[in-house]
Amino acid sequence: MSLVHLEGVSKIYRVGDQEIRALDSVDLRIEEGEFASIIGPSGSGKSTLMHLLGCLDSPTSGRMQICGNDLSVASQNRLADVRNREIGFVFQSFNLLQKLDVIENIELPLVYSGMPAAERRRRAEQVARDVGLGDRMANRPVQLSGGQCQRVAIGRALVNRPRIIFADEPTGNLDSATGQMILQMFRDLNASGKTIVLVTHDSDIAAVTRRVIEIRDGKIRREYCP
Amino acid sequence: MNLLVALQIGLREIASHKFRSFLSMLGIVLGVSSLISTLALTTGIERGTRAFMQQVGGLEYVNVINKEISNKMFDFWNLSPGRTLRDAHAIQATAPLISHVSPELAFGAAISSGKKSERKQVRGVFPDCFVVARHELAAGRFLADLDIERGLRSAVVGDAIAQLLWPGLKPGAIVGKTLLINDRPFEVVGVLLKYEREEDKRRRAKGGTGKISRSGQKWDPFRGKNESVLIPYSTMFFDFRAGAFPLDSMESVRLDALTLRVGDLADFRPALDQVRAALSATHRGVDDFDLETREEWFDRMEASIRATRLSGGLIATISLVVGGIGIMNIMLASISERVREIGIRLAVGARGRDIFIQIMVESVSIALIGGLLGVLSAFGLIEILKLIAPNENMPIMTLGGIVFSVGFAVLAGLLSGIYPALRASRLNPIAALRYE
Repeated sequence: MSLVHLEGVSKIYRVGDQEIRALDSVDLRIEEGEFASIIGPSGSGKSTLMHLLGCLDSPTSGRMQICGNDLSVASQNRLADVRNREIGFVFQSFNLLQKLDVIENIELPLVYSGMPAAERRRRAEQVARDVGLGDRMANRPVQLSGGQCQRVAIGRALVNRPRIIFADEPTGNLDSATGQMILQMFRDLNASGKTIVLVTHDSDIAAVTRRVIEIRDGKIRREYCP
Repeated sequence: MNLLVALQIGLREIASHKFRSFLSMLGIVLGVSSLISTLALTTGIERGTRAFMQQVGGLEYVNVINKEISNKMFDFWNLSPGRTLRDAHAIQATAPLISHVSPELAFGAAISSGKKSERKQVRGVFPDCFVVARHELAAGRFLADLDIERGLRSAVVGDAIAQLLWPGLKPGAIVGKTLLINDRPFEVVGVLLKYEREEDKRRRAKGGTGKISRSGQKWDPFRGKNESVLIPYSTMFFDFRAGAFPLDSMESVRLDALTLRVGDLADFRPALDQVRAALSATHRGVDDFDLETREEWFDRMEASIRATRLSGGLIATISLVVGGIGIMNIMLASISERVREIGIRLAVGARGRDIFIQIMVESVSIALIGGLLGVLSAFGLIEILKLIAPNENMPIMTLGGIVFSVGFAVLAGLLSGIYPALRASRLNPIAALRYE
């Protein structure tokens, strides 16, 4: 059973009278334990694809199954539940809440899955140590470097033990040395069994993954293994 | 997400923008404190007025007064004997819905304790007078049937008279003293309570001498009651009236006052009809009397209480609505500032409902905190009101009033939170995440 299973998925945006076909009948399967990247220039539809895969949006047509949930037609609440349980996000701009400290940022998904406070805290502290922030737990994001912020974000993506992690240009805001460190973290995570999907426009970064899905004009143009 | 977590997040949000939160609360604070104060003021006025109504005889009090005869009836006025003791007997006999009848004779006489002498109104009454006028004793006894029957020279005096003639003496010590009325000796058998309005009572309690200067007092509704000199009706007639008109008997002498008490207010109208029927007979059909009731007067008082409550309540309600709008404004500003935050929360799995609850909890928290601050400031406001107007009816804060006002504030917070919360919960996660 594939974690991600798309069949003829299209996403059409309407702007006035114009139809913009952001994704055009895409077929895609991603299996458990894969380390894949989606690559393409801006405007190619890769962000739209990631939003669909990340359950932030539902397709206009086609069949979409994520982690065994049929989300071809799903309510916002259902999407939110799947996001909460099955999916972790890492963003280019970290998207941490500046008002919260490291631990509170990491435990945010658990707040919405209804875990009791004490257990939440315990789990978040464990994850903070795992991502190497055991000594910065009480810091606010402004007090952290870019690499540390991205590690908080990775911690937040991991804390709910999701089956799949999506990372959207995770090294885009980092210098190359820090970027390499973050990529190494993803590699290690994959080695320990997590399914990871990286979205990037940079073929050098895509080269670290084991499967590259190249997308252009809303269609999967080719797939290869570097 | 449970409510407790939402509350934690909400309180933190409020605390992180203290000044802004305070400003948005201000409307609620003012609204709640003015609502509580208004309720306290009207409760005070209401209690004061009701106590006053009781002391002046209550709604049951009916006064039979003389009426100018219409031109049409002018030729017959002589047929009517006017108000006499026969009226009282007729009412007692034929108007069972009237529980007490108090006919009175009055005249101005020199009263004295032996030393100084004053001109005061002396009234000859029956025991029913004490019930109809709602007199209460400080010491001694009321006039009894035996005083009337025997024409005894007994007298009951009001507090003002007692103080005038025997200054400094306790009521108990005055009972038994001799009162001279036009130089005839009467035994004081009872001294009445001092009647005063609530506000005067307070003024006295506050350390005044209790002596109200006659010129300084605008209107004392109890002056007449406090200056009572009451003697038996029969004694009054034989000692001071009998010789004036030799044809008059105790029965036929014209009364100076005739007051009644209705037994049960439920039968107020029928009771008045019974009185009219009885008097119509004794007055031989001449329409020369009227029944004066407290109804209109009390209705006017009730209406003014209602008007005060309504206008005060209206002003307070308007300020609470304005306060609610203030909260809505701040919540709208707050969510447009937090679009990205909401996007992040949605991305990690918050549902629209979680966001909705979050904003509602914040809105209600602001309203509730504002409401509680309003309660505190209402206490202060009421102290100030007492300082400004120490002699008016004391504002009375009731728990019900406080709960009602705070509840109203919470309702304002709830209602004004709905629109911002709906807007926030309907944000698209992708658009919200991209928002700068």
